Amino acid sequence: MAPSSSSGLTFKLHPLVILNISDHFTRVKTQLNPPSSSCSTRNIPTSIHAASPQNVRVYGCVIGAQRGRTVEIFNSFELVFDPNTDSIDRSFLEKKQELYQKVFPGFYVLGWYSTGSDAVEYDMLIHKALMDINESPVYVLLNPAINHSQKDLPVTIYESEFHVIDGIPQPIFVNASYTIETVEAERISVDHVAHLKPSDGGSAATQLAAHLTGIHSAIKMLNSRIRVLFQYLVAMQKGDIPCDNSLMRQAASLLRSLPAAHSEKFNDNFLMEYNDKLLMSYLAMITNCTSNMNEVVDKFRTAYKKNSRTGPTGSRFPFI
Amino acid sequence: MSTLEAVITSIQRLSATSRDLSALHDVLKGANDSLRTNSDLQLTTLDQLDPSKHSLGYLYLLDVLSCGPVSDVVPLIARFINGCDAAQIRLASEKFVSICKRLKDKVLELRDPLRGVAPLLAAVRKVQVSNKRLTALHPDCLQLCLLAKCYKAGFSILSDDILEVDLPRDFYLYCYYGGMICIGLKRFQKALELLYNVVTAPMHVVNAIALEAYKKYILVTLIHSGQFSVSLPKCASTAAKSNFKTLCTTYVEVGNCYNNGMISELEAVVVANSSEFEKDKNLGLVKQAVSSLYKRNILRLTQKYLTLSLQDIANMVQLANAKEAEMHVLQMIQDGQIHALINQKDGMVRFLEDPEQYKTSEMIEIMDSVIQRTIGLSKNLIAMDESLSCDPLYLGKVGRERQRYDFGDDFDTVPQKFSM
Repeated sequence: MAPSSSSGLTFKLHPLVILNISDHFTRVKTQLNPPSSSCSTRNIPTSIHAASPQNVRVYGCVIGAQRGRTVEIFNSFELVFDPNTDSIDRSFLEKKQELYQKVFPGFYVLGWYSTGSDAVEYDMLIHKALMDINESPVYVLLNPAINHSQKDLPVTIYESEFHVIDGIPQPIFVNASYTIETVEAERISVDHVAHLKPSDGGSAATQLAAHLTGIHSAIKMLNSRIRVLFQYLVAMQKGDIPCDNSLMRQAASLLRSLPAAHSEKFNDNFLMEYNDKLLMSYLAMITNCTSNMNEVVDKFRTAYKKNSRTGPTGSRFPFI
Repeated sequence: MSTLEAVITSIQRLSATSRDLSALHDVLKGANDSLRTNSDLQLTTLDQLDPSKHSLGYLYLLDVLSCGPVSDVVPLIARFINGCDAAQIRLASEKFVSICKRLKDKVLELRDPLRGVAPLLAAVRKVQVSNKRLTALHPDCLQLCLLAKCYKAGFSILSDDILEVDLPRDFYLYCYYGGMICIGLKRFQKALELLYNVVTAPMHVVNAIALEAYKKYILVTLIHSGQFSVSLPKCASTAAKSNFKTLCTTYVEVGNCYNNGMISELEAVVVANSSEFEKDKNLGLVKQAVSSLYKRNILRLTQKYLTLSLQDIANMVQLANAKEAEMHVLQMIQDGQIHALINQKDGMVRFLEDPEQYKTSEMIEIMDSVIQRTIGLSKNLIAMDESLSCDPLYLGKVGRERQRYDFGDDFDTVPQKFSM
């Protein structure tokens, strides 16, 4: 694990960057490893490092703005990587940089990104190569391995610092903490893109189901986090854990800010919506029951009807 | 003599585990006949056994004893029912049921049905294998509750949903008595459901229980919903449809008269046939139906008028004067059947809409309980569906239909008969 950064810079990462990186990686991986075996020709994209699809690495540049001690990473674009020389194609980078400068005049190249589980040796070479554009670039690393138990984002930001190792000052990567920052418009579009529905468009039912599943998992996560906090506070009260005053103050301020809305009209509206939802579930439940009943009656009739039936409607048959 | 003591010692020995119990059961079955003729068997021999631990043996001996002339059998059986162990009883449920029936007969003989209500309630719970099964004791218990007029006790049995029935006769009696108990408690909705079950139950020939139930069913429909239709519901059996109407003509007449809405005619019909109603013991119900006609007419007025004076109401509904009209309207507002405002100064009544907005927290609780009930019902239906899918009759019929879509050798023919 790289040690923590001591540069004092605050990093803010926009979700667009994360989406771009993951999209780049997925595209390249799918092109290299097409899902159907009917594809005869393969397009070998230019920024692959290793041949096997598991170790595909993609490279690109991150751009943004630095104001004072705050570094805000807004956007990113892809770069061409030459596997023979293990270096980035400079002319391509400069061309792209010019183009982006025209569209976003305030943004500069802040660093570069790649995918993988941890930083490797030749990353430092690329890092040094970028140092002539930006004297202290950042390295954003995305871990594409899907780990369901991991709760945080698999994105790490590294800075380079000169540390003395074996008597020689060498640059090494150090971990920097970051926060996610977003604007409302960006949040809506990222949300929309991130929750892509199945390709056949999906009926209203599947969309509703997907939406409700999303809400359900969000509430579950909230519930589990509150439970962790609660158990922590209970343990502190019992004396198992030494009291941490700053944490308790944070928890108290959080609790005092709830409930967020507390007026008569709010309660009214809230109860009305709650009752509406309950009525809808009741209706759905009744429909479900009716369809079950229909199945039972159909089966019963098939099983017990005699071949000749008198009367307009089938009469019920006695118990044996 | 020795057999009796042998039986008692084996009871005392073998009442612990389930394997022993089945062995004991066989022993008792074998010794049953000899016990009947054994003159040594007295009440005192029962003292050697403990009802809660040796329930099975106690049951057999008690059965033999109560057949013969024994005094004071009622508290004996009652104590046994309260103390016995449910698991052991279920092994010999017919004997238990016959003992309880004997208790009921004795209690009726003594003209004190109240004494039998509590033991029979406990007995029903003990002999029931699951909450959804109807036993032979249900109708007896309900009958005692009816005779003792303790309707609330009977109602507690009625709140279970019944899914499995052993004998149809039990079911008819259960629904009929249950309907009468609900009428006594003035819960006409539930009474209607129960009586509807009897009227539409499958039957080949007309059933006396169903006939009586049909008469009450007509009257309760009049009281509860104010409508009467001559035709039975579609799912009633053909026997019922063809015969009921001819056998209860006076009730059908009452129903038709009610539909016309004229109080005086209805009262005339009632008076004319009062002896028949008296015979069926339905006179009280008929009187309730007559008084409900006023309510129905007033209800109809709410759909036509927004405001009405009390005198007009009295005229339209054929009541004597405005005071009576006011009393009726007040009663209906209290029962929640209509929503209205009475202005006493000028005697005007203003009819309002239902003020329920469905947005209170009490509504949430009601909805929640209703949804839970529906979920439970859905689970029951799914279980029924599954058990039907495994029924060999059903599979045989479905298999026969499948053959029509046979494409050569693609599908195997479904076997016609399954040998288990």
